[in-house]
Amino acid sequence: METIFFHVDMDAFFASVESLDHPRYQGQPLIVGGMGSRGVVSSCSYEARAYGVHSAMPMFKAKQLCPHGIYVQGRMHRYSEESQKIVEILKTFSPSVQQISIDEAFLDMTGTFRLFGPAEEAARLLKRTVLEKTRLVISVGIGASRYIAKMASSYGKPDGLYRVAPGDEMAFVDKLGLARLWGLGESSLAMLKKYRIDNPQQLRTFQVSRLQKLFGEAAGEFYYKVSRGIDPGIYTGETKSRSISTETTFAQDINDIELLKQYLLRMSHEVMFRALDEQVMGKTVAIKLRYGDFTTISAQITPDKPIYSAEEIYVIAYTLLEQRWKRSQKIRLIGVGLYQLYDGDAPIQHELFDDEFKRKRELEKTVLSLRSKGQKVEKATSLIKHD
Amino acid sequence: MKFACQKNILLREIMLALEFTSQRNTLSIVSNVLLETSENNLTVKATDQKIGFKTVLPVETIEDGSTTVFCDKFLGILRALPDENIIFEEVGDKLFIHPERNSINFELRTIGADKFPQLEEAPGDAWFSIGQKDMFDMIDQTIFAISDDETRYFMNGVFLEHNPEGLTMVATDGRRLSYITRHLEEIINPFQSAIIPAKFLSLLKKSGTGEGTLSLAVTESIVFARIGDQFMYCALIKGQFPNYRRVIPATQTNICRLSISDMLEALKRVSLLVENKAKRMYLDIDAGGVTVSSEESDFGQAKETINCDYMGSSCRLAINYSYLMSPLKVMEGQDFLICFTEANRAITIKPDPEKDYFHIIMPMQID
Repeated sequence: METIFFHVDMDAFFASVESLDHPRYQGQPLIVGGMGSRGVVSSCSYEARAYGVHSAMPMFKAKQLCPHGIYVQGRMHRYSEESQKIVEILKTFSPSVQQISIDEAFLDMTGTFRLFGPAEEAARLLKRTVLEKTRLVISVGIGASRYIAKMASSYGKPDGLYRVAPGDEMAFVDKLGLARLWGLGESSLAMLKKYRIDNPQQLRTFQVSRLQKLFGEAAGEFYYKVSRGIDPGIYTGETKSRSISTETTFAQDINDIELLKQYLLRMSHEVMFRALDEQVMGKTVAIKLRYGDFTTISAQITPDKPIYSAEEIYVIAYTLLEQRWKRSQKIRLIGVGLYQLYDGDAPIQHELFDDEFKRKRELEKTVLSLRSKGQKVEKATSLIKHD
Repeated sequence: MKFACQKNILLREIMLALEFTSQRNTLSIVSNVLLETSENNLTVKATDQKIGFKTVLPVETIEDGSTTVFCDKFLGILRALPDENIIFEEVGDKLFIHPERNSINFELRTIGADKFPQLEEAPGDAWFSIGQKDMFDMIDQTIFAISDDETRYFMNGVFLEHNPEGLTMVATDGRRLSYITRHLEEIINPFQSAIIPAKFLSLLKKSGTGEGTLSLAVTESIVFARIGDQFMYCALIKGQFPNYRRVIPATQTNICRLSISDMLEALKRVSLLVENKAKRMYLDIDAGGVTVSSEESDFGQAKETINCDYMGSSCRLAINYSYLMSPLKVMEGQDFLICFTEANRAITIKPDPEKDYFHIIMPMQID
């Protein structure tokens, strides 16, 4: 049977949710992110993008580019709520929904023809359902592999619906060009350029063994596959057991520890909120690091006490980063995940004694609610000692 | 070493001894039971270092001596032998076991008794005596409320406290709490309050009959007990037991009286359709009766109304039903009281007429 994957990407997600809650933001250049001195842009409206603002950009730079934009502190909990609603809708379209971050998911639509008709029709119905139920816009990419679907969704953005028909993968890759191939960062492009490789066609003239000799085993195989529109298997490593994880690929490989800490904290919050929403708890915290040369490592810790807060996830994730990261190497991707999930504390059983964990969680909830009311609250990182 | 004894006399002691050996490593001395004969007495010892056991029983000693054998296999052999006089003899590094009137022969490898660890001893003046029934009543009223969550290790045992009139025992898992304080005729030597592992208390009950007395001694780090010829001890749980007095409600405005057996029956029936993890059950308390119900689930729903004596305003409580079931199972008498103030505050369960124990349950959220 022909495999069909959808990649669903929520357009300018955090910014869209903010516009939903604050109609006066609509049509304005809206930038959501960390407002601290070293904050980064988490999400921005298409109006802001016109100024050259993009996510992962340092906030001060965004303010230079777009001085009259609306800047708001992110409210992860709120985004998580909307994200959850959308995922629930996605689940009515496919039994296999793989959420890869708060605003992205893969749907395995293989064999759903008799339910929803041709893939494009199913995608149109999906987009319409999400819009009607949440007033949020999603882009859908359709392909025979996750990799192609993922690029198809960004190709169509915003409000996109793009299908790459089976057999057309190579042509699609050629149309995109190297710079828009997912997983090729600036450093990769610069490296390829050294060998006068400027487009996928040129890349295809190299044999896999030659590419591996030039760029290393993993990267060589990756280039070989993506130039042919073959899924390099980025998302297939998902384990059978349920997990909640998120990852960020940087536009530029980074080795700035402060920036990495911010990402870890944000992703820890995202993972925790998704866990809270799904009413599950995780026993294990894992991080994933992919270096500029595509070597990927993961590490995990299973603490002996339950993990109750984003702060605890962050502390573990940061400990793992400290242990495993070779500082000489720049990081292209970082991920945080919660594994070995079990049913959380719903329905809520009241406690006789207020214990330490509960107090921590209360503190965190307070900080979050203050933040969601727009007050400036010091980020939790500064409250935690690492030594 | 050589002795003879009736199988069943030894079997009972070795069954208990096994509970005190280490079940982890079969090659270790602490998985072994020590046997020592002198003057027609057999001393049996077992310890995994945290918990220890010693007993003395009459046997026919043929040759004094001592040795140790792997307790688990020794017990297995004893169980399998016919109930008759059995000869045990150590030759070299083996213990030969054979019934006097049968041609059954076992040989068990031994480890020298000199390698066996020293058992702990209680200082003589620490001992006090208490009726077995009193002690076992107190254990029964509390032991089920301990926490088995290892991250809350300080709640993995029962808290034992000395007071001028007797003893108090408290157990909690952080969500419910069971309390009993018993006035005792005996003079109790004061001791520092201790958290006693639940396993030790259940072994104590296994060892005793519920009649007569037993002796206890509580030191800074160990609890000791003597019942008849049996001596046992256990390391206390280190840590701070929560300040339980703070969570015992001083006054509760609503009191509802019900029949213990009616409620137990209703719980048994309605729990069939209660979701098994959270075990949330609803009690709708009203002058007209208490309605026990499950949540509507994929399977369906159960509901049962039982008579009650209640004059307050109608109220809905949500609780983990096992928190109500366990104390009711060990409650004496006909009737019990549910005392509460409002839906999200602590509920007290106690017998009516009141006795020297009660149970506190924290409710669950009502959706």
